[in-house]
Amino acid sequence: MAASAQVPQPSLRRRWYSLQAREARLAWMLVLPTALIVFGLVVFPAIFSIWISFHEVGLKNLNDVFHAPFAGLNNYRYVFNDFAFKFHSLQDWGAAVTSIVYSFSATILTVLIGLIAALLLNRPFRARGITRAIFLFPYVAPIVSVAFVWRWILDPRPSGVLNDILMRLHLIQLPQAYLSTRGLALLLVIIFEAWRYFPFAMLMILARLQAIDKTLYEAADVDGANTWHKFWYVTLPELRYVLGAVFLLRLIWTFNKFDDIFLLTGGGFGTNVLPVLTYQFSFKSYNFGKGAANAMILLLILVVFLVIYVSTVMRNVEE
Amino acid sequence: MTTRRDERLNFIDHLARWITWPRFIFAVTLIFFLTSILFPFYWMVSSSFKSYAEIGGRRPAYIPASLRLDAYRQLFDPNAPVSRTSSYENFGRNIINSIKVAVPTSLIAVILSTLGAYAVARLHFRGKELLLNSILIVYLFPGILLIIPLFAMVSQIGARIGFEVQDNLAVLVITYLAQTLPVALYMLANYFRTIPAEIEQAGLIDGCSRVEVIWRITLPLAIPALVSVAIYTFMIAWNEFLYALVFLNSREMFTMPIKINVIFNDPTPRPHVVMAASTIMTLPVVILFLALERFLEEGLTAGGVKG
Repeated sequence: MAASAQVPQPSLRRRWYSLQAREARLAWMLVLPTALIVFGLVVFPAIFSIWISFHEVGLKNLNDVFHAPFAGLNNYRYVFNDFAFKFHSLQDWGAAVTSIVYSFSATILTVLIGLIAALLLNRPFRARGITRAIFLFPYVAPIVSVAFVWRWILDPRPSGVLNDILMRLHLIQLPQAYLSTRGLALLLVIIFEAWRYFPFAMLMILARLQAIDKTLYEAADVDGANTWHKFWYVTLPELRYVLGAVFLLRLIWTFNKFDDIFLLTGGGFGTNVLPVLTYQFSFKSYNFGKGAANAMILLLILVVFLVIYVSTVMRNVEE
Repeated sequence: MTTRRDERLNFIDHLARWITWPRFIFAVTLIFFLTSILFPFYWMVSSSFKSYAEIGGRRPAYIPASLRLDAYRQLFDPNAPVSRTSSYENFGRNIINSIKVAVPTSLIAVILSTLGAYAVARLHFRGKELLLNSILIVYLFPGILLIIPLFAMVSQIGARIGFEVQDNLAVLVITYLAQTLPVALYMLANYFRTIPAEIEQAGLIDGCSRVEVIWRITLPLAIPALVSVAIYTFMIAWNEFLYALVFLNSREMFTMPIKINVIFNDPTPRPHVVMAASTIMTLPVVILFLALERFLEEGLTAGGVKG
């Protein structure tokens, strides 16, 4: 009896000490701190957030969250009926619609400008190196600084530069409050996004441009193609994949973005998007349940983008 | 007279011959890009050198009359005159707070992600693909989604163990680590894969242990990648706004972005002070970037700067 019980032990021991097992153990030990921090501070909170969205959590029971009263679908009902969330009229879109419009148009504009910049930098000219470095400035500079410079340029007082320039050109008679005008504010926020994030698109596209086989262009020359033909029939098809990848990545990041709109308009004047609304629910009115419910709606839309991203881009990378 | 006119004609001829439509369009587009990129930066730096009169006048001053340091004095000089339009901001404190957050984040992120990235690049273990993919997807999660549960969790733990959650820079460092580790791991793992495994195997055969191999062979070869990961994580922590906004309450503990936000939202607008503070915050980042551009550009496309 005792002997038979001892039989599996050496084999288990051997497996425990085998080279492969030792390597796997070492690997897990090395990955563990990173995995713990990332999962403890991202995956667990994400799941916990679902729980909060079904409970009534405010500032007073924050230290005792686990005993918060169950609220069922109330938080979701409140969010859906909230004035800031709901689509009202063509003047008043609500955060859900604004988010979608904002992230799609900002992403399209970003990729377009990135493409133009990449084509510009793809031809050799003097001082290309420094130009390329300058093109990256908007992306590298801190968001707080660039957002406030933009606000100062768009300042509604006559001392604002844009007001002064447009008044000197007689395009406007009186100083305008650009970021507090419905419609214009959203447009400016979109332009700001493109200004700040086109360098990312540019770098990705440029890397692909420089990898295009030169013989394709020589063949096109032989066939008598002009510049436009070459762009349309050679360059663009070669860029199709990278354009798609950049578009999806930027779409996801723009959709998630909180800082930019919060700093530029504070979410006012028709620019309220889901991340800013989540912040307002949770840290202005301290209704964390409602904030979490709003974040869940954001997450649902995000998951759609993520699924598209994973099923197209990540799969292509593996191939 | 005549010769000069001839020369001018020649020049115009020359120009006319040189300028073709593609070249013209190219030059115009390039100039458009450069001005729209550089003007905001020029405006930031030049506004920081203006006086209150130049900032609040009826017309903007395009070039400051002289390099006035009024704005910088308000940020740093405790003896600066205090009035409705100027007050001492003690900005040095905020710079120190930002450094206190960004440097530890960067160092810890480099150490932890080096360990993890080595395992991912070199060792075989079950669940590696799953781990890697989930870490990448985690990177696409929005901060705003996580801030509510994190705030609740940290308050709960703080109440249990008894530490202050608000105004605790260590809490910030830990949340920044969660944001930076995925991309740091990803960038480093990619780099480790480019180092031939044969070099390490040679070391192992010569009798080095795994740890010695990593320390003596792999790490020295990976210094460019380590530097760029350190700078990216530093930049993320240096620029971060949302978590600092939620977790910091007292002026004494503010990091730079939050302090700039407060100065901007002052009842009496002082754009020159805001621009001076922004200049101080932007300069190190841009200089670091320009100095190390070669190393850093690759990281940008790997998503080094999130967002």
